[in-house]
Amino acid sequence: MTKGTKGPDGSRLKPAEIGTLGRRTFLQLAGASALAGGLARPAHAQAQTTVRWWYHYDNPQNTPAALVAQFEAANPGIKIQAEAIPWGGGTDYINRMFSSVVAGNQPDCAMVRLSYLSRFAQMKALEPLDGMLAKWDAKSDISDDVWKLNRAPDGKQYYMPLHYVVIYLYYRQDLFEQAGLQPPKTFDEFLGAAKALTKDGMFGYGMRGGAGAHDNWGPFVLGGGGSFEKGGLLTEKALAANRWFIELATKHKVVPPSAPTDAFRQIVDSFKAGRTGMTIHHIGSAAEVVGALGDKASAVPLPRAADGGGWTYFGDESNAIFSASKNKEAAFRWISFLSSGEANVEQAKLSGQLPITTSGVKSWTGHPKRFVDASFASLPIARTLPDSVKTPDFVGRVLPTNMQRALTGEINPDDLMKAVDQLFNG
Amino acid sequence: MSRRLSARKRILLVEIPVLAILAFALAPFLWMLLTSVKPTSDLSVFPVRYWPSRFTLEHYAMLLQRTSFAGNLLNSFIIACGAVLVGLVTSVPAAYAFSRFRFGGRRLLMTGFLVINMFPIVLLIIPLFVLMRNLGLIDTFIGVIIGHSTFSIPFSIWMLVSYFNAIPRELDEAATIDGASRLQTIRLVILPLVMPGLVTTAIYVFITSWNEYLFAMMLSGQTVRPVTVALQLFIGEFTVQWGLLTAGGALIALPVAILFLLVQRRIVGGLTSGAVKA
Amino acid sequence: MNHATVRAATPYGFLLPALVLTALVILYPVVQTVWYSVQDYILYAPDDARFVGFRNYAAALRDEVFWISLGHSAVWVGGIVFAQLALGLATALLLNQSFWWRGLARALVIIPWALPSVIIGLMWTWIYDYNTGVLNDILIRMGVISQPFPWLASPATALGCVMLALVWQGFPFFAVMILAGLQTVPRELYEAAEIDGATAFRQFVHITAPGIAGIVATAVLLRIIWVANSLDVILVMTGGGPGYATHTLPLYAFLRAYSGMEFGSAAALALLLTVMLLAIVWLYVTRQARELDA
Repeated sequence: MTKGTKGPDGSRLKPAEIGTLGRRTFLQLAGASALAGGLARPAHAQAQTTVRWWYHYDNPQNTPAALVAQFEAANPGIKIQAEAIPWGGGTDYINRMFSSVVAGNQPDCAMVRLSYLSRFAQMKALEPLDGMLAKWDAKSDISDDVWKLNRAPDGKQYYMPLHYVVIYLYYRQDLFEQAGLQPPKTFDEFLGAAKALTKDGMFGYGMRGGAGAHDNWGPFVLGGGGSFEKGGLLTEKALAANRWFIELATKHKVVPPSAPTDAFRQIVDSFKAGRTGMTIHHIGSAAEVVGALGDKASAVPLPRAADGGGWTYFGDESNAIFSASKNKEAAFRWISFLSSGEANVEQAKLSGQLPITTSGVKSWTGHPKRFVDASFASLPIARTLPDSVKTPDFVGRVLPTNMQRALTGEINPDDLMKAVDQLFNG
Repeated sequence: MSRRLSARKRILLVEIPVLAILAFALAPFLWMLLTSVKPTSDLSVFPVRYWPSRFTLEHYAMLLQRTSFAGNLLNSFIIACGAVLVGLVTSVPAAYAFSRFRFGGRRLLMTGFLVINMFPIVLLIIPLFVLMRNLGLIDTFIGVIIGHSTFSIPFSIWMLVSYFNAIPRELDEAATIDGASRLQTIRLVILPLVMPGLVTTAIYVFITSWNEYLFAMMLSGQTVRPVTVALQLFIGEFTVQWGLLTAGGALIALPVAILFLLVQRRIVGGLTSGAVKA
Repeated sequence: MNHATVRAATPYGFLLPALVLTALVILYPVVQTVWYSVQDYILYAPDDARFVGFRNYAAALRDEVFWISLGHSAVWVGGIVFAQLALGLATALLLNQSFWWRGLARALVIIPWALPSVIIGLMWTWIYDYNTGVLNDILIRMGVISQPFPWLASPATALGCVMLALVWQGFPFFAVMILAGLQTVPRELYEAAEIDGATAFRQFVHITAPGIAGIVATAVLLRIIWVANSLDVILVMTGGGPGYATHTLPLYAFLRAYSGMEFGSAAALALLLTVMLLAIVWLYVTRQARELDA
């Protein structure tokens, strides 16, 4: 096991880093020297390398214990210490991770999201994997598109893709048939269907205005011509697309009045309870939806704009190795194990998402086929959010707050676009 | 108030209002209990289904067998008891000093304890994390206990000062005249009298620690994970495990209620009328 | 050491354990946070942080959302503490009467307080739910409303609905504190009043109220601080929305700190709240000091 260059006190130091010894590195060093006593153990302790890995699964009954056992049997000398960290709406997981990086107590590797890549990069918290990836024989089992989506702005690969979801449109097959409707392919057809289904206290479209609103806003506004480049949200086309989206609630009233604060649980529950005819989510809720509605529910890719433009959210999950890790080789063995072959399929079952490997997807039976098909059919328009340190603030605060204000009529829809543009380009 | 009410008056003026308050206090909890014994398919239906289609203990069984919840309950219990112990051992002498002595900086120190507590913990958490890490207290019982007891110190001191103040100083003086040392006076005269306040403060510290999430989430790992953190694991990104969550809620609230049932006599029985006459 | 020195040192000795623990655990993070507030400190770019003086504070005072949040904080603290106190006082007085199931009632009433905030937030969100919530269902069955109402999604009702959940959670606190306070009121006073033929109301005004005033005042003060800073239930129920409708100051500071990771601005926002709370505490301390130190 190579262990990287070591400083005299046992902490990992590169000459380049010493020059720019800022507060963060200082804290890490302070932490490392505090630990140095503990690390200077006799040689026999080194036979066993322990890799600390942080993960989160939606179902607390799912544990990676079997995967860990399998890996440890195949890799004697490496022990995996897997730790479930509460997701807490994303905030808890991320807070714990960033605090650990600041305090120098980060694990060797952890599940991470693309939207935080810029912030990690700015902290120089992650280790580029390119060198290790070049020697990894299962790399080609993950499609080039996915590698491209995960690449950092500096051209390096910090993330090892693990599994993913793509946002699509859930719809009620039975109600569409009764009304003589086809699943919508364009925005106009979507509005038409939503109007037709809105009756007797039921609403055509279960809009998500609370946490996670970006996956409902994006398809119509970014798909309708908006972009995050400077001024890209303020073109007449983008503003019109956004107005059209907000008017689904304010003018056409095809969304439940609770939409401004509805988050995933409310939109999925309303759809399951038969109170909405369409809703926008991904395969992660397919099992629940089928459990409640059976064959009545199906899914298709999101509708597109009149000019053929479309956008849907690529929900990623990857593993990354922290630059402060002393067991990078071992950590890489573990995360590459999770992203290849059978293990990746097992791992996708635990997380309720889709395997990342081409081979794993071919034999995938974890979800009913129509939802898997809808996910694949959505890939051509699947995009990620901008690679910016501002993105988490867009997702967590600026978009939901301003979209809610637009939905409740407190501000003009155009002000929402100005606020988002201000965040990214102001 | 010691006045005995007639049976009818008591039912009308006391028992019925108490029932009304209990209804308000318990309705959401009972709704939660009811949810915890429903099969999952009963949960998100329209219109609302009040009575379970069948009663089931599967959520409880799953919670105790397939998750680490029982161990987490024990962890919470150890942490809360530790926090009560450390909290009282540090707060009682401090509160006594504030109540019975006049010394330089008294008012400043008393205010200081409060001021330091006026800052939202969410914003302190990162420096706190760095500190605890440098002390090597991450994922240890000591670390969480020290955190929880320290957060409750300002409250405990202030509350105890007002209970101490409620005890007439003449009692201390009488005991001193009788030849008792200061520690004897505290042990034999003051502590028995302040027992309701002491128990109340202990309950406060216990419950606060029992329910604390953020600090415990940051400071605990696999080893000392308390229930609040374990509970948060049932709220995933795409699913809320309502069955597990509500069953967990029931199991979290009941020990506290039982504990309170056991100690509530202490709250009322502590002060004897004879002592106050002195 | 002579006797007088020992006597003078005694109170400090009594204070020592509490002081040491507080200084060790809280003082450093508080000082650190105050230091953040005068820098443009962003968590993911710690090396770029510069000293900016009071610029974060000035920015906060110019920020429309700060004033909206401040207004909500005032309503939040005033409404919740008042309702908790009223309900808690009534509960304590009732539970101080003797009836055969009193012990049980005392134990049951504590339950809302014994539940973690995350469960409280989720349960109440579910109760208020537009489609599958019991509140709408009950009101429709009773004929009060004909259509379900989006309780948490309407700017007019959202704050009140979240406040109700917090009142529910916190009133047992006052009940327990006041119940303990009632025990310190000497029973002889009631007996004497009874002999004088005083009504129950007069007994309350002249004996009970003055007897528990000190403890109630302290409990209110402590509760104001706690409620002013509490944000976990709001966070679970609405996340501050719709729009700014349930933004309180700590919640806004939290969003700035953890969504934007702008720790400098967030610390300034939180410190402004602290200064305002300090004014309340100082009022209380000086008032109380007049009574106690006299």
